[in-house]
Amino acid sequence: MIRFDNVTKRYPGGHEALCKLSFEIGEGEMVFLAGHSGAGKSTLLKLIAAIERPTTGSVLVNSQNVGKMGRGAVPYLRRNIGLIFQDHKLLFDRSVIQNVLLPLQIAGFSRHDAASRARAALDKVGLLKREKANPITLSGGEQQRLCIARAVVSRPALLLADEPTGNLDADYARDIMDMFKAFNQVGVTLVIASHDEDAIRTYAGRVLHLDHGVLQA
Amino acid sequence: MKTWLAHHRQAIVATLARMAQTPFATVFAVIAIGVALSLPAVLYVLLNNVTRLVGALPAQPEISVYMRMDATQMQNDDLHQRLKARSDLADFRFVPRDAALVELSKQAGVADISAGLTQNPLPDAWVVTPRSSQPDAIAHIATALQALPYIDSVKQDSQWAQRLNAILGLGHEFVTLLALLLGAALVAVSGNTIRLQILTRRAEIEVSQLIGATHRYIRRPFLYFGVLQGLFGGLAAWLVVSLSIYLLDRRVADLSTLYQANFQLQSLGLLPGLILLLCAMLLGGLGAYLTVTRTLFQSNAH
Repeated sequence: MIRFDNVTKRYPGGHEALCKLSFEIGEGEMVFLAGHSGAGKSTLLKLIAAIERPTTGSVLVNSQNVGKMGRGAVPYLRRNIGLIFQDHKLLFDRSVIQNVLLPLQIAGFSRHDAASRARAALDKVGLLKREKANPITLSGGEQQRLCIARAVVSRPALLLADEPTGNLDADYARDIMDMFKAFNQVGVTLVIASHDEDAIRTYAGRVLHLDHGVLQA
Repeated sequence: MKTWLAHHRQAIVATLARMAQTPFATVFAVIAIGVALSLPAVLYVLLNNVTRLVGALPAQPEISVYMRMDATQMQNDDLHQRLKARSDLADFRFVPRDAALVELSKQAGVADISAGLTQNPLPDAWVVTPRSSQPDAIAHIATALQALPYIDSVKQDSQWAQRLNAILGLGHEFVTLLALLLGAALVAVSGNTIRLQILTRRAEIEVSQLIGATHRYIRRPFLYFGVLQGLFGGLAAWLVVSLSIYLLDRRVADLSTLYQANFQLQSLGLLPGLILLLCAMLLGGLGAYLTVTRTLFQSNAH
């Protein structure tokens, strides 16, 4: 599903975030990206979602070269990818359910379908009772779950999560990880960047170790 | 099709709601656009009225035709027949040389001179009034008359018409120039309000781009905002024009009564008014488009 061929990413200013990376992630896999902060985990996820473009090499997602993708095609790629951010990127000028509805509105769902799908997604993450609340009133763990609901509401085949448990305590973190496991069991491919080695070990998924932008065997 | 319509209706309602949230900013922007547009519109209307007034003036351009000093009665009769035969003349009359001299000596200061004359130095003359006041038509008649052998000279009295036309043309060009300048100002005003909108909605734009919004989707609400703002500005301008003309018209009516004329100012017609609204909407939309597109290509999530 995802294939990196000799990918190097150099940011303007000369900093090399990723160096000659080659690996493949199959459909339905759950892969952890491990490594200290600054190892290039976020950059790798950004390359998959075409938020950044590789300096050299090619990034294939569903056999599409996303590094060479035209501006017009990028939105349609992203509609098939659920993005989960460490800082959640929620919109505080609207209710919980409005946040979840956003991807569906963008994809052009009818109002009726969108509402029922959004409720289902909120139910999955246990936030249905808070649908009318403003996200700013939610706890950190709840905000992260809301972010997950927004990422999965359009039922993407691929979920990318950047430090999803980064600043959560252990119980919340386990909740989130169990949720990911459940998504993986219904066939969603997951790529999770995390520096939390304990969590990674518990879930016995495949692990890609990054060290200063280089893939460790 | 149904969802498409629903999308657009939704966008319009959302835009109106957003305008209602910041009533002061909206009103100020609308006033700025309205005033900017009303200036060329009012001038355009006044200019049209002047053009109409000029067209309605009873005074027609005249052509003075002077016969040679040795012209005979027969030649005068010949010219009379020729003038009669022309269909492009509104009127003509004969001024005999003796009558002209009498007329001249009546004028103050000339009587002494004419008294000393042993013979009448004035020729017979004809005063011809063309049907059309177009400079071309007048020139055409003058050239035809000049070609007759017994005519000494032809004086077109059409210079004033040419001058007036030139002044009106200048006025039209001035209005066009002003409209272009203020149209550019409208684009800038619209762009600026949209820029402020974008600043307050940065997070929404960024998140939308990250979850697969096309540029068109992101641009749409801002375009609606620009177009609707332009529409309201255009309506404000129309109102300003109508109000100004209404107020001016009463003064003009008083004035025209003094001149025993009946002249009424015409306000902005329906068609020019609709064109005004359309231009305002287009320019408002253009300002929004330029600003949003610039922002979209600047943000790093594209």
